[in-house]
Amino acid sequence: MIALAAVAAVTLGTLGLGAWGVRFVRTTSDLLVASRAVSRWWNAAAISGEYLSAASFLGIAGLEFALGTSALWQALGFTVGYLALLLFVAAPLRRFGSYTIPDFAEARLRSGRLRSLGSVIVLLICGFYLLPQLKGAGLALNVVTGSPYWVGVVVVATVVAINVAIGGMRGITYVQAFQFWVKLTAIALPVVVLLVHLGGLPGRATLFGERLPHAGPHGLRLALSAPERVRFPAAATFIADGRVVHVRAGEQVQLPRGLLRLPAGGVVPLAVGAGEVAQTGAQWSRPVGGSGQAAPLLVYSLLIATFLGTMGLPHILVRFYTNPDGPAARHTTVRVLGLLGIFYLFPAFYGALGRVLTPQLYLTGQADDVVLRVPAAAWPGPVGGGLGALVAAGAFAAFLSTSSGLTVSMAGTISHDIWPALARRWRAGNRLEPWRESRWRSSTAAARLASPGATGVALRRRRFRVAALLAVLPPALFALLVRSIDIGILVGWAFAIAASSFCPLFLLGIWWTGLSARGALIGMVFGAVIATSAILAGLALGEPTSGAGALLTQPAVITVPLAFLAMVGVSQLDARRPEASGEMLALHAPEGLGLRLAESEGDDDDPDLPLGRGRRRERLQRG
Amino acid sequence: MIAGGGAQRPRSLRTPRDELAEATAHGEVYLRRLRRAQLALSLLALTAFGALFGVLPIVLYLLPALQRIAPLGIPLSLWLLVLPGPPLFVALGWLYTRRADALDAAFRELVER
Repeated sequence: MIALAAVAAVTLGTLGLGAWGVRFVRTTSDLLVASRAVSRWWNAAAISGEYLSAASFLGIAGLEFALGTSALWQALGFTVGYLALLLFVAAPLRRFGSYTIPDFAEARLRSGRLRSLGSVIVLLICGFYLLPQLKGAGLALNVVTGSPYWVGVVVVATVVAINVAIGGMRGITYVQAFQFWVKLTAIALPVVVLLVHLGGLPGRATLFGERLPHAGPHGLRLALSAPERVRFPAAATFIADGRVVHVRAGEQVQLPRGLLRLPAGGVVPLAVGAGEVAQTGAQWSRPVGGSGQAAPLLVYSLLIATFLGTMGLPHILVRFYTNPDGPAARHTTVRVLGLLGIFYLFPAFYGALGRVLTPQLYLTGQADDVVLRVPAAAWPGPVGGGLGALVAAGAFAAFLSTSSGLTVSMAGTISHDIWPALARRWRAGNRLEPWRESRWRSSTAAARLASPGATGVALRRRRFRVAALLAVLPPALFALLVRSIDIGILVGWAFAIAASSFCPLFLLGIWWTGLSARGALIGMVFGAVIATSAILAGLALGEPTSGAGALLTQPAVITVPLAFLAMVGVSQLDARRPEASGEMLALHAPEGLGLRLAESEGDDDDPDLPLGRGRRRERLQRG
Repeated sequence: MIAGGGAQRPRSLRTPRDELAEATAHGEVYLRRLRRAQLALSLLALTAFGALFGVLPIVLYLLPALQRIAPLGIPLSLWLLVLPGPPLFVALGWLYTRRADALDAAFRELVER
């Protein structure tokens, strides 16, 4: 009950702050200037707050619980991506002044087609990233209230759609910064309290020794709501539905509905089909091992995907423009590294505690629940319940803030890059009835004439609202259909696609004058296509966990170099290279010389767009 | 520093800043030098990162004995996995930022000379 209240408070708080944020934005004459008064620490907390998602909050601990400590490479990878961003992207991109990835692609290479392609990839990445947020919401609400899985998905999708559609979560740096501290408290405080209560990590033999996950000293009682097919890794005895059953090692059995009881110390079976194998403590705690996700090649592939993929996450990039200048972008990123490093210390403890205290999750195959279930299992009673409520509220904060950021990015892309292009094509193909055409003409003419005309803003706002709903719908439907994929794996895919398409675009576009528009176009398509098809093939083959097949689900180590090669190769073939000296000046010249590219505020007055999403006319201002 | 548009001044009085603003051949050379210096610095930091952190997975793979040494009851391989990474990232990032800011400042000095 207390947990439900905490989750409701976080949800209502988000809606309220969203509404408050709209007023804040509308009464501020220049949003950008206001945002630029934000200090580096606030900015760093805001970036971290937007970044920490369901994958960070639930996914890492879930993967660690299921697969072993090799999953902790993901936590390191999520942090280290900001180092790549710092070294190669943060300052130049801030100086360049384009606010989204399609903006950058178009301005750097002067190609409208590149903008459209970038928009499509933005949608793909955001979709892959949004899906696990919604899945996490379904799980969390189920654990907290016992409601069916779909309720949480629908609740969060609805809240986010409403929130974004009324124009919330935009430029609210302080809200995102506050969210970071909420999430850090929600994940850190319970662990510290529980470890003190338990007197350190319990069950060392299960964690690091030779024991398999087993029932605690009081045995294990579990009410199964549906028959469950499981495999016993060792000989065991259990009582199912009142009957005593003996099984041999390696035997598969169908557990009936009803009460299941395992004796104290009895080995816990694993759900068949989840793709996990029983591991002793020594196997489980080995960070790099012989096979599966722990194989060295896969560890490196994961690290490459996260190292290079972070810079391609659309909702993160927007946040960087609240920095006043290039050096501030650098200093902010260093602080982000520190804040994330602190946060990612904690999920590891949940996975470990879960292995000892909630082994029944192996049986039911609900590894992603482990963060939510550990507090009550470690300290039964009101204290554990309260800590569990705190964790659930933090998890909800994570789903809501990241989902909102993603939805804003998607809705902005749909309504401003894709919709107008499609509308033009559609009008060219179909003769419209005269009255509709004239109405369209008058509204776009108004949009062009007035700066910005009330009609133009209203039209774009309407589009943005419809786009927000369109953006949330497909991931929500998918989240309802696929429950069986781990959150961490889904987010890994988003990173792999980002690393294989946007990362080469940034690195080559910023540091190499020889990049051509055609090269960037072909390289991005190639990278995105091979990364996506590898992932889909891996999914079709049922997430193979060993050998070359496993590389399909973690393809970055192959697809990123290929995308780079394609981009460089095609650019070299192009005889006519663009003169990029103006762009290079904008990217690399330090501030304070009086020759920065000035940003005219153009059509940046639409309050529904994420920070600075309007197209910016750039001109060279001489000192 | 002489104020005013450089375009009107005689050629002999042109400063690096004018060169840069008009994107002449000289200006491009200055900027290319800065860009190369920044890229070299970033690549240096990347190399340091690779040498210090990038080798960790392969070290842990090749030395399974680290699993058996367990200070405070937790295997050394796990200590190495969890603890040194984040402080190293911050330290590298901080050093890089200082050097990158210094390169920018040196360039500014050159141009405003």
